[in-house]
Amino acid sequence: MINLHWVILLPIILGTIVKLISIKTAKKIMVLFQSALLISATMIFIEVRKNGTVLENIGGWPDTIGITLRADLLASAMVLLTCFLFLAMVIFVHNKNYADHLFFFLFLSLESLIIGIFLSNDLFNIFVLIEAATLIITVLIMYKKANVAIYDGMMYLLINVVAMSFFLIGLGMLYKKIGVLDFYALETALSQVKDPQSLILPYAFMITAVSLKAALMPLFSWLPKAHGTPSAPSVVSAILSGLYVKTGIYVFLRLQIAFSPLIDTSELFVILGLITAIVGFILALAQKDIKLLLAYSTVSQIGVIMIGLNLDNPMAYWGGLYHLMNHAIFKSTLFLTAGMIISEYQTRNLAEINGVFKHMPAVGVATILSILGIIGAPLFNGSISKYLIASGSSGTWIESGLILINLGTIVVFIKYGQLLFGSSGKKETADSDILEKAVVLTLSMLCFLGGIFGSELIAILFNVKLTVDRLSYSIKMLLFIGSIFLGILIYRGLFKKTNRLAFITSFELGFNEICLSITLFFAFMVAYLKLTL
Amino acid sequence: MISINGESISILLFFVGVHGLIARRNIIKSIMSISIMQVAIILYFISANTAPGSVPPIGDVAQTLHVADPLPQALMITDIVIGIGVTAASLTMFIHLYHRFGSTNWQKVMKKRNHHD
Repeated sequence: MINLHWVILLPIILGTIVKLISIKTAKKIMVLFQSALLISATMIFIEVRKNGTVLENIGGWPDTIGITLRADLLASAMVLLTCFLFLAMVIFVHNKNYADHLFFFLFLSLESLIIGIFLSNDLFNIFVLIEAATLIITVLIMYKKANVAIYDGMMYLLINVVAMSFFLIGLGMLYKKIGVLDFYALETALSQVKDPQSLILPYAFMITAVSLKAALMPLFSWLPKAHGTPSAPSVVSAILSGLYVKTGIYVFLRLQIAFSPLIDTSELFVILGLITAIVGFILALAQKDIKLLLAYSTVSQIGVIMIGLNLDNPMAYWGGLYHLMNHAIFKSTLFLTAGMIISEYQTRNLAEINGVFKHMPAVGVATILSILGIIGAPLFNGSISKYLIASGSSGTWIESGLILINLGTIVVFIKYGQLLFGSSGKKETADSDILEKAVVLTLSMLCFLGGIFGSELIAILFNVKLTVDRLSYSIKMLLFIGSIFLGILIYRGLFKKTNRLAFITSFELGFNEICLSITLFFAFMVAYLKLTL
Repeated sequence: MISINGESISILLFFVGVHGLIARRNIIKSIMSISIMQVAIILYFISANTAPGSVPPIGDVAQTLHVADPLPQALMITDIVIGIGVTAASLTMFIHLYHRFGSTNWQKVMKKRNHHD
């Protein structure tokens, strides 16, 4: 097993070195390197799975003083996912023109930073990594230099910098009170604190920033513009929506665990998750740009994950984590296929794209498999995770909320699925790149495998035994079939001819309004904690 | 009674920055507000953890009794570097934005951006 810090450093080092080699050889080396990295991540995962958490103190300092890297089961599973997705992306861009040296340098640095965020055990370290990742992503989403790129990039950069300033001042207040920045030292130190009132401000500052990173309800308006901007290459959109947004959820989870003995906001975040999910699919339904539709659907799925993680029920918790992994797989497939469709049809408008199934069969199959995954069709991975979340909430009103959300997702993807059918108006089938097809087909097959071997995969990844009860699973599936019919009816009745929600898209938050919503969210958190503690 | 010290001033400054972000439409002023927030954070870290009469942890401090906590100061060196990087990047991007859209106003830029779409 290689040391943890090498997993973080190697991609950046390689990204720098390949500058010396011609881009053709560099791309081949990159694929080999990513495979090697995936193998070493697997080895770390196996090690953690066998012998428990791996700790590494950088610089040989004793615990809690220096910077520590910590690979527990969740972190190493996320690292495994990261390495796997980046391998897929590097193969995907193998024959693309825009993938030059600079692109690979930025892309591999982003990989390093994401792995760093997952492994880091120190709050300030996480701040630095996120800030660096923000700058790199800003360049990456403007990479194709489209007309509007600079505005989208600037918004993304400034909003995230503002949020991280909130994070940092919260960190300062926490350090003044507690005197440690290490997550696990924090956990012990916080359990000694008698008076939770004194931690309201630091918690509110930090959770505001993290909620923005995870794109929760009032704070998600930056996400679709960043993930769905025309200038972002499809691999970048896939990584952002599939993986990077999960770092926000991951830090959120870590913070919630650390603060859990004192401050318990799980009920609030279940409700926020529910609102996020509902608002997300309503906005997704209003879009006519396919990339924006997918980006808003990410917001909606994040809501579902948040519900699962905050329900305070083991079934729902592991279901939420499994949904997080599943979403990474199917949403990156959807973004990649959307990128291929856009470059073939030269338009992003959903209404102008028809007959993908006939014109690009492989892309059509990949799209339909991942759509089945995201709407939770029987035997697909989404159904397992959604089933677990729903069974964790059974008997409460949240269960019916989840059914509503799934119905919304179904309507959104019936709308999205229209691009598969009809006639494309083009005669022969498109000759897309064989590697691209291979990548999207493999990823979409994983949606299927993740469904069939759902509970086995959860047992391997998280070391918990969850049984899927056949009876209640079949009830869920009947419910799903009912939702499909209802979804088709809703779509035919309301959205087929005219887009009845189009007026929503004319509301758009500018920079000042987003800053105002950050401040209001912060004020709301402070008031909520004052009242409940 | 709130005493006037580094800590309270820094919190005040932070919210001055937040006010600038909310109330000013000018993009340059937004970038300036972010810088104000960063300065406030640096002041907070440096001043909040220092007991009165303590000595900065520089040079030979073996004889001194009260040495200020060196960790926040080390963290803030990192933050200053990040702050410079972020400000430089956003100003560079602003120049391009201005060339493209010809305005320093968030609202006008947003309208022109949506016009392009």
